[in-house]
Amino acid sequence: MSKLIYRSKYGTISFSLERAVPLALVFLLVCLFVLFVLSLALGSYDLSLSHLWQALFAAPEGETSTTILWDLRLPRFLASLLVGMMLGLSGAILQGVTRNPLADPSLVGVSQGASLAVVALIVLWPSAPLHLRPIIGFAGALLAASLVQWIAAGKSSSASLRFILVGVGISATISACTNAILTYGQINHAAAALSWLAGSVHTASWGECLVLMFGLAVLSPCLVWAVRPLSGLRFGPELATGLGLHLKRDRSLLIALAVALAALAVSMTGPLGFIGLIAAQLVHRLLRVGTGSHLLLSALVGGVLVALADLVGRTALAPIQLPAGLISAAIGAPIFIALIFRNAGPKHL
Amino acid sequence: MRLFTNPVHALPLIFGLLIVVALLHLGFGAKPVALSTILQAFHSFDLQNFDHVIIRQMRVPRMIAAICVGAALSVAGALMQGVTRNPLADPGLLALMSGAAFGVVVGSSFLGIEADIWMPALAAAGALAAACLVTIIALFAPSGRSPAVLLLSGAAVSAFLNAMTSGINLLNEESFSTFRVWLSGAITTDALHMLPYAAPWLIGGLLLALGSARQVTALSMGHEAATGLGVNATSLSIRLLLCTVVLTASAVAMVGPLGFVGLVVPHATRLLVGSDYRWIIPCSALVGALFLLMVDLAARMVLAPVEIATGVVTTFLGAPLFVLLVRRVL
Repeated sequence: MSKLIYRSKYGTISFSLERAVPLALVFLLVCLFVLFVLSLALGSYDLSLSHLWQALFAAPEGETSTTILWDLRLPRFLASLLVGMMLGLSGAILQGVTRNPLADPSLVGVSQGASLAVVALIVLWPSAPLHLRPIIGFAGALLAASLVQWIAAGKSSSASLRFILVGVGISATISACTNAILTYGQINHAAAALSWLAGSVHTASWGECLVLMFGLAVLSPCLVWAVRPLSGLRFGPELATGLGLHLKRDRSLLIALAVALAALAVSMTGPLGFIGLIAAQLVHRLLRVGTGSHLLLSALVGGVLVALADLVGRTALAPIQLPAGLISAAIGAPIFIALIFRNAGPKHL
Repeated sequence: MRLFTNPVHALPLIFGLLIVVALLHLGFGAKPVALSTILQAFHSFDLQNFDHVIIRQMRVPRMIAAICVGAALSVAGALMQGVTRNPLADPGLLALMSGAAFGVVVGSSFLGIEADIWMPALAAAGALAAACLVTIIALFAPSGRSPAVLLLSGAAVSAFLNAMTSGINLLNEESFSTFRVWLSGAITTDALHMLPYAAPWLIGGLLLALGSARQVTALSMGHEAATGLGVNATSLSIRLLLCTVVLTASAVAMVGPLGFVGLVVPHATRLLVGSDYRWIIPCSALVGALFLLMVDLAARMVLAPVEIATGVVTTFLGAPLFVLLVRRVL
């Protein structure tokens, strides 16, 4: 355990890092770099490394490789990275707050709420500016999440599974509404909404990336704040209260933060299932680390996962592009089942 | 709690409602048809009369499909709830429907089987595989007999199979255009083409369910009680699982996956006739037919002239009940 301490006249800020964390960080960053190079180089128009280098740094005007790199592959990689990071963070926070290893934005109604709002926006007001989507999506997601919270609240004995199952029910209802809107809307708007619903980063452009980066920049101070209440909540509600947390307020704020992160990601690329669940659980199972490092690593793992899913989706069966959401669901569902095995002990039921 | 102390008294009510709703189903739609014209269409059919053609060739097939599918899914749901002793069981929630849809899509796009006659068999194979998967997961998970774990494994298997199905559809545009409407669960006039092939499965499943009704009642009191009453619980469970699979497959082959019908209807039926499966199973079939006729009527009336997919309406009605039940059970 190494400690970084910063003292000023306003007080002390100290970070403590477990020994495993720098190693994991380096490993993840290397993974990301490899994925970065592969995502830029591979595709229906293969770029050699030297071309890649040239297009990246010299960027000769009017060359095909420059256009492909700067207009298509780079924003796509960046968008998948950012979306993955947000989903990973959202999953980690949700799992921390609900103390439920099975929590994931796509399982507790958040993704579906955001989807409904955004599909309604696309179908009813197709000319709406892009930056309106996250706001509307956030509103929808927050509504859905509070509905699930409100309905699932009550007896605490089986809170964890009850929360998920209520989420399954609410998600089904909301998806039915989304489908109804799709049938009701004009066919061309419905088709646009449908391709968005599959959960894919293939349409990502710099506009999406800017919205995502801006959102992450706004939310990151909140993330720093979130570390303290989250580590308190790890010990359970009684101890957290004992540690001086304002339990009710902090919980709702944390959930709002998780919802905001997921809504931002979902409103840009469509629902990508299971990413938050896998990222947060992978980190949790492999490394026993403090809350702050857990958040950081979950974000990176989420980014790696979505970038990987996108890369596999567009190269595995080229020229057909499988949306990243499909790959993530295909990988995520078995992991989810494995988690049920591990966690469905008597104490959870 | 039940409305009729003697279940026999519920039958006239259900039958009466069924006839009224069936007539409404024939009469209303994008073009309303008068009752006298409906009767005329049956006893003196005139090919030149547009209304007669609508009734005979569009509305009657839909009505038959809705009745068959409603009966099949409701009985399948009732059996599942009895056997697993889980009030939340439903062919859709436990992944049988996604399995059936997956079976059909795989069979027609990879194995090249496109004849209608094989559709119920493909659906049954897929549903059986999904059911086995869910059962195995639930059996091997710690405390797997609890309703929650069964449902969670159902949800996960369902998500996985749905992703696979949409993946196949993306790879194969022909399959996508064939199955697009069918996959969202819609009762259409086309359903009748499938009826002759699905009917043997449907009737076989219903008869087997009716025949086992006594033992289901015993089984719904628990494995020990059932064994004490002289029922071989394991072999009965397997037989009923197959029965559920067959019923679900015949319904999915006709109209695609319709969620939550098997959850809602048995619960409504229990309110009417109590907890004896000798009554629940036949009455669920009737109430299910009634329910799906009403849903289909609503699906084409609410946003007329646009039709909402039937699956959307059943989910919209069923999912809140599911949430309510989760609150009560867990």
